[in-house]
Amino acid sequence: MSVVASSQSVPAERSRPVSRRRFSFLPYLFAIPILIYEGIFVLYPIYEGIKSSFYTQANLGTPPIWVGLANYRRLMHDDFFWKSVKQTFLFMGGVIFVSIAFGLLSAVVLNRAFFGRSAARGIVTLPWAFPDVPAVLIFIWMLNPQFGVMNVFANWLPWVDQNPKWLLDPELALISLILITAWKGFPFYSLVILAALQTVPNELTEAARVDGASRWQAFRAVTFPYITPTLMLLVVLASIFAFKQFTIIWLMTGGGPAGATETIVIRVYQTAFRFYDFSYAATIGVAGFLIVLTISIIFLYIQRRQELEGGRV
Amino acid sequence: MSVPVLSQPTMTRPANGPTVRQRLEKLGLAILVIVICGITFFPIYWMLVTTVQSTKLTLRYPPRLWPQEFSLSAFQEIFEKEPVARWILNSIYLSGMTTAICVVLAIFGGYAISALRWRGRGLFAIFLLMTQMLPEALIIVPIFKIFTDFPIIHQDVRNNLFALALIDAAFILPICVWVMKNMFDTIPVEVREAALVDGAGPIRTLFQIVMPIALPGVVAVGVVAFFYAWNEFLFAQTMIMDKDLKPASVGLAGMITMLDTPVQLLLAAGVLFAIPPVVFYIAMQRYIVAGISAGAVKG
Repeated sequence: MSVVASSQSVPAERSRPVSRRRFSFLPYLFAIPILIYEGIFVLYPIYEGIKSSFYTQANLGTPPIWVGLANYRRLMHDDFFWKSVKQTFLFMGGVIFVSIAFGLLSAVVLNRAFFGRSAARGIVTLPWAFPDVPAVLIFIWMLNPQFGVMNVFANWLPWVDQNPKWLLDPELALISLILITAWKGFPFYSLVILAALQTVPNELTEAARVDGASRWQAFRAVTFPYITPTLMLLVVLASIFAFKQFTIIWLMTGGGPAGATETIVIRVYQTAFRFYDFSYAATIGVAGFLIVLTISIIFLYIQRRQELEGGRV
Repeated sequence: MSVPVLSQPTMTRPANGPTVRQRLEKLGLAILVIVICGITFFPIYWMLVTTVQSTKLTLRYPPRLWPQEFSLSAFQEIFEKEPVARWILNSIYLSGMTTAICVVLAIFGGYAISALRWRGRGLFAIFLLMTQMLPEALIIVPIFKIFTDFPIIHQDVRNNLFALALIDAAFILPICVWVMKNMFDTIPVEVREAALVDGAGPIRTLFQIVMPIALPGVVAVGVVAFFYAWNEFLFAQTMIMDKDLKPASVGLAGMITMLDTPVQLLLAAGVLFAIPPVVFYIAMQRYIVAGISAGAVKG
């Protein structure tokens, strides 16, 4: 169809390239299916969850009874819930620290030129691509108190004289879960930090080196401030990912031993599908939702500020 | 983080070859690379080593750190012992459905955010981001209740792989939309404007002009959605009780508690399950890294 022909058959304004002021239904037509879809499967369940936290229901079949804030009062005095909040933050803190520190270390190393670098990058990406359930299988096997290979490594340590109890020991169980979650998560942080490192102008670090700074000093004074915004964003992202973690914890320890690894999401699942206390589970869910919402708002705030500063992510 | 701690600078610089300091730095770098790759790769290595050995060797303590024999019989036995083929077929169906839903919706959503100007565009983008941060486990209870008696149709849609695909898609769709948006962002405005000038309507512009260029984005969305559903455990575990409908993630997880299964069989099933995503991600590593650099975020 030629331009001439079309400008004859339609009003003149039609032939102007994208008219930006004219109202068009099209974008809404494109966006509305997604809104409806997410509305049904995300927003409506959130609404139902909030609603049922004000009710109590003996069984799924029986009609719910309005109890007002009773579930929330119970939550306030529920030691198991507060313990799960504490365990959640311990777990999150551990995962954030280990995965970002290891991500940073590996990114700095992978940013240097050496023989076999692309192979090393491939290896570092592997755990990220590795699905959760097989990863759990490996680690349960490696941490087997009787035959697990981790016992061999543990016995190399001078102060270890017998096989650790691993997942049966409250502290070791939490540490193991942190390390496993960090193993799965760090490649992503490493790749993002690597991308950020490549935006650091070479002239800056070279100038510092010429002025007599050691490599470590140049890193601390020049590179690190440059990638700080990226690291802050990753800290928030890592906290969300750690908060969301269900599969690894559930399959490795189920929250045990004695609640040592019971995070909020595990507590919700236990309450609903072990104790069949659906409305109370929904109440814990609402409390968890508020925590995530707070973290998300911090995330959006940091991201928006970086966009305004023309920063890099 | 880097090496110089090891040596104070030796300023005597011989005319031929690197200085002592440079050599030490190289050595330090090599050690770091080996340690990082070793820690990262060891669990996967150990899985493979266990898989190719027989019970006699896997249940020996202390284990040898390198394989003593090589046998693929575990892969054969696991198919005989457990309905692994059935699980994998279920997973393929589930992931295929999830992918189809996500690809279609992500094309429109991504285009709406990237190429079209409209009120509420920014809000829509933020809404998508926020849904991504919501932990699945927090709303599993209401979703479970809704699925036992789905509104309007009033049916129990648990034990239904298509219904499961619908929830899986809802939780990965926001990322798919972002991936697609990033793809559309790379296409110059002039391409679309030229099409519009030539008289193509906006829908024809999208499908005949823009889509062929944006095809890599569709592939990326497909891979992301497919493997999200492939890996997904929480929804599948909660919704699917019928053992003939179990996707592989649930079937595999169920084997953990079966103590009579030899460990090399269990791990062989794990290897089979892990191969597709690992192969795909490695094949697409270049695009993924490029996507990350452009700011795309995978959950």
